[in-house]
Amino acid sequence: MYRYTEFDRQFVHQRAAQFRDQLQRHFAGQLPDDDFRALRLQNGWYVQRHAPMLRVAVPYGELSSKQLRALGRIAREFDAREGGPYQDQRGGYGHFTTRQNCQYNWIALADAADVMDILADADMHGIQTSGNCIRNITSDCFAGVAADEIVDPRPYCEILRQWSTLHPEFAFLPRKFKIAVSGTLEDRAATAWHDIGLVLKKNEAGEIGFEVRVGGGMGRTPIIGTVVRDFLPWKEILVFIEAIVRVYNRYGRRDNSYKARIKILVKAEGQKFIDAVEAEFANIREHDVDGGAHLLTDAELARVSAHFELVPEGVTPSTGEPLDLFADAAARGPAYRRWLERNVHPHRIPGYRAVTLSLKRAGLAPGDATADQMDAAAALADRFSLGELRVSHDQNLVLPWIRESELAALWEAARAVGFATPNIGYLTDMIACPGGDLCALANARSLPIAAAINERFDDLDELHDIGDIDLHISGCINSCGHHHSGHIGILGVDKDGKEWYQVSLGGMDGSALSGGAAPGKVIGPSFAADEVPDVIEAVIDAYRGQRSAAAERFIDTVKRVGLEPFKAAANAVRRATAVHS
Amino acid sequence: MKVIDTNHDRWHEVTADDSLVAVPAAEPWSLLTITQWQAVRASWPADVPVGLIVPNDVDIETVVADLPRLRLVALCFPKWVDGRAYSQARLLRMRYRFPGEIRATGEVLVDMLPLMVRTGFDAALLRADQTLANARRALGFFAEGHYQGDVSETRPRFARPAAA
Repeated sequence: MYRYTEFDRQFVHQRAAQFRDQLQRHFAGQLPDDDFRALRLQNGWYVQRHAPMLRVAVPYGELSSKQLRALGRIAREFDAREGGPYQDQRGGYGHFTTRQNCQYNWIALADAADVMDILADADMHGIQTSGNCIRNITSDCFAGVAADEIVDPRPYCEILRQWSTLHPEFAFLPRKFKIAVSGTLEDRAATAWHDIGLVLKKNEAGEIGFEVRVGGGMGRTPIIGTVVRDFLPWKEILVFIEAIVRVYNRYGRRDNSYKARIKILVKAEGQKFIDAVEAEFANIREHDVDGGAHLLTDAELARVSAHFELVPEGVTPSTGEPLDLFADAAARGPAYRRWLERNVHPHRIPGYRAVTLSLKRAGLAPGDATADQMDAAAALADRFSLGELRVSHDQNLVLPWIRESELAALWEAARAVGFATPNIGYLTDMIACPGGDLCALANARSLPIAAAINERFDDLDELHDIGDIDLHISGCINSCGHHHSGHIGILGVDKDGKEWYQVSLGGMDGSALSGGAAPGKVIGPSFAADEVPDVIEAVIDAYRGQRSAAAERFIDTVKRVGLEPFKAAANAVRRATAVHS
Repeated sequence: MKVIDTNHDRWHEVTADDSLVAVPAAEPWSLLTITQWQAVRASWPADVPVGLIVPNDVDIETVVADLPRLRLVALCFPKWVDGRAYSQARLLRMRYRFPGEIRATGEVLVDMLPLMVRTGFDAALLRADQTLANARRALGFFAEGHYQGDVSETRPRFARPAAA
């Protein structure tokens, strides 16, 4: 994974020092709330429903075991810290998000500068994890190890991270700005749903370039990004993105925050927007002082790649016959077999696999990990995965460098610390935002809904029979739980001060499994909270009744038969809304 | 970066109602609105020092032809979190090579100064409650520089000699 240079290291320490100065001025009464807000946001500090929330950047989802231990230390020592204002809360954990970051809910603002110092010591930060600026760059959690990878996106992600970090012109855009990068056939980074979605590819001559999409996004107006370039030579990427963001900074709407994302500009202007970007792109190169100096070079790509150790020392490809992973599965029982099927993924290096540590298990919110669990995952990474982990878009952890011969030992060790639930890709491997329990924006709670569904579908054989399905839950229209892209999406809405839930079907994140990217369709009036598990069960039962064969996946059945059978099934279990609506 | 002391600033705005005033006599160090400037542009001698106030929703390209006549361009931050003027300043310096003063006006906080220096501002009229001491502190971080090219260091870090 990427190893910081001395420059990178002093840079995050400078940022921590700058933030400490701002925090001190705030506490000294020299920086009022209104002014401090945007400054703290750009360092990852929100003020939520009950307490501040810290969002730590995990650039493109890559974590070292050392960094994960630092995250664990922060959870242990600062989250709901004893003697602090939130000591009575159930704290001591972190929450991994769909944008591969890590959040804390109960850290006192008075401790904020100390926490940023600890992060900087671990080569981490909260730079631009919030605010109307270019956010953390996300990528495929299997970047660099995926068997279907065309180009390893990580060096490009790091180059983009450096370019976007404290870019002086783009700190106060009309609205937040998210970039995702993928380099595989299968899009595991939901690129089409981002403000800019980049897919690395090779042309017929073997040259590397990007397919560039602009203007995807969820929220109130779900839109799939528009392809503005099929193949942009990689050396031009920084200049091209600079052109996109400059056009957005100049012309994006600022009068209404619901209409301020770039997707609205792209939709309103259409080809005119693309023409403006192309004109700006040409202007930078032809007219600006040192405009051409911003084109990437082979030397820069080589320099950044060298800091990655793209294939870490200690990786030794197997040369023999491929191992039959299932050869000893029978002896270890069905749980191991299921785990091999669900949590173990193909790898580009013979003899290796990537393994998902499931953060979706009964009793814990999706994506949550306690301090001890973070330490345990770090220990697994040290023992089995060359000290490296990934945070997945689906809110799990991934160990990217597992020798096939050590899978059984890893399974035993992961099971002992509760990470081996074999449910990856199943209904209970759901995405959920923190919702109304913690978030100030939410209209309704997400976590009790997630817990109730988890409880209802606790039978692994049943989950297996239901098969691959994406369930996404958001507590409000801001869509942090990506309900638009769920095969089943659940959206919390507020009606007369009560929590209701809108259910949509047929959303797709852009993976081949889904068959592209598309927003789901709502299947009728909202349901009461206690109806939701029944509705999900009714929808699942309808699928099982409708599918053409056991192998037909939920999303394919929805596409084939349409929404009606599911609507009817869901309506049949309405109770509260039958009276209310 | 020059912090403007309003008691010792030779530039002054011309406050008369645009529509009623006949073409005013040329007065040095006038800071004019675009409407005012368009009214006097043809009649004022070319060597009278003039400054232009450019709102942040004006395409900076529309004033490019006037730049040789201008000593100062005042860019505006109606709210400090509205970042359009950073793009205007950058274009003035990097694309149109404007050599005069670029002044930040409106809601200008000391914490914006590091961004301003890097996008081409060289003067700032701070909001009344901001202090010079805090302005100096705000400018004191990141002594070793940044990743991107900007107006003060026009190449990105990777294109400079001895990048590490």
